[in-house]
Amino acid sequence: MQSETRKVTLSAILRWFDPRKTEAGNWAFILNRVSAIGLTIYLYLHLIILGKLAQGPEAYDSFIDIVRDPIFVFGEFLVVAGGFIHGLNGIRVILNSFGIGVPYQKQLFFGLMAVAVIASVIIGIRMFTV
Amino acid sequence: MQNSNTLPKPGESTWLWLIKIITGVLIIGILVLHFIVNHYLGPEGLLTFDEILQYYRNYPIVPIMEGFFLVFVVSHSLIGVRSIILDLNPSRQFLRVLDVILVVIGVVSIVYGIWLLGAILAQAPPA
Repeated sequence: MQSETRKVTLSAILRWFDPRKTEAGNWAFILNRVSAIGLTIYLYLHLIILGKLAQGPEAYDSFIDIVRDPIFVFGEFLVVAGGFIHGLNGIRVILNSFGIGVPYQKQLFFGLMAVAVIASVIIGIRMFTV
Repeated sequence: MQNSNTLPKPGESTWLWLIKIITGVLIIGILVLHFIVNHYLGPEGLLTFDEILQYYRNYPIVPIMEGFFLVFVVSHSLIGVRSIILDLNPSRQFLRVLDVILVVIGVVSIVYGIWLLGAILAQAPPA
C-alpha cells in the first residue's frame, strides 16, 4: 500500500520534469524552485560553518584548506550558477508582476538564462584556474 | 507562458509578497558586493581568517553590509520556503505552526549572525 503511494508520487514528480509536455513557463518555474531549494540549503550550511570564525584562525583556516578541494569548488560552482539562474529569473518575475514585459516574458526568460549560462561559464573557468 | 506564480498566492499576504520582492532586489545588489569582497580581494580566492579580520577593521562598512545582507537573505529564504509549502495545500493549523517555526529560525539565524560578526571583530588583531 505504502509502496504503491510512493510509486504514484515518484511518477508524478518525474512527469513534472518530462520535457515533452513542458513549456517554457514550467521550465522557468522548475529552475526557480530547484535553485531556490539548493540556495536555501547552502545558505544555512554557510551560516553554520562560518561559526568556525568564532573559534579563531586555526579552526577557520584549516576549514578553508579543506574547501579548496575541487569537489567543494564544484559545489560552489553549483551555488554560483544557481544564484545566477535564481537572481536573473527573479528579475523577470518581478518585472512581469508589475506588468512590465509580459508579452515578451518567453524571450526575456531565454535571454536572461543565456546570460546566466555565459556568466556561470566565465566565473566557473576562473574558479577552476585561479 | 503563464503568469500565475508571480503574484501573491492564497495564504500569502501582499506584505510578505512585497517583502520577498524587495529583499530579492536588495540581495542581487549586495550579493555583487559580497562576492567582490569575499572572492576578488583575496589573493587566493577565499579569504583567510587574518584577511577577513583586516577587511572588517579597515572597512567597517563591510561587516555592516554583511549584517544587512544576512537579514535580507534569511527573510527572503524563509518567505520562499513558506511559499513552496503553500503549494502543498497545508491545513490552517499546520500553517500556523509553520509560521512560528519559520519566525524562530529567522530570529535565531539573525541573532546568531550578528553575534558572529561581533565575535569576529572582537578577535585579537593579526600579529
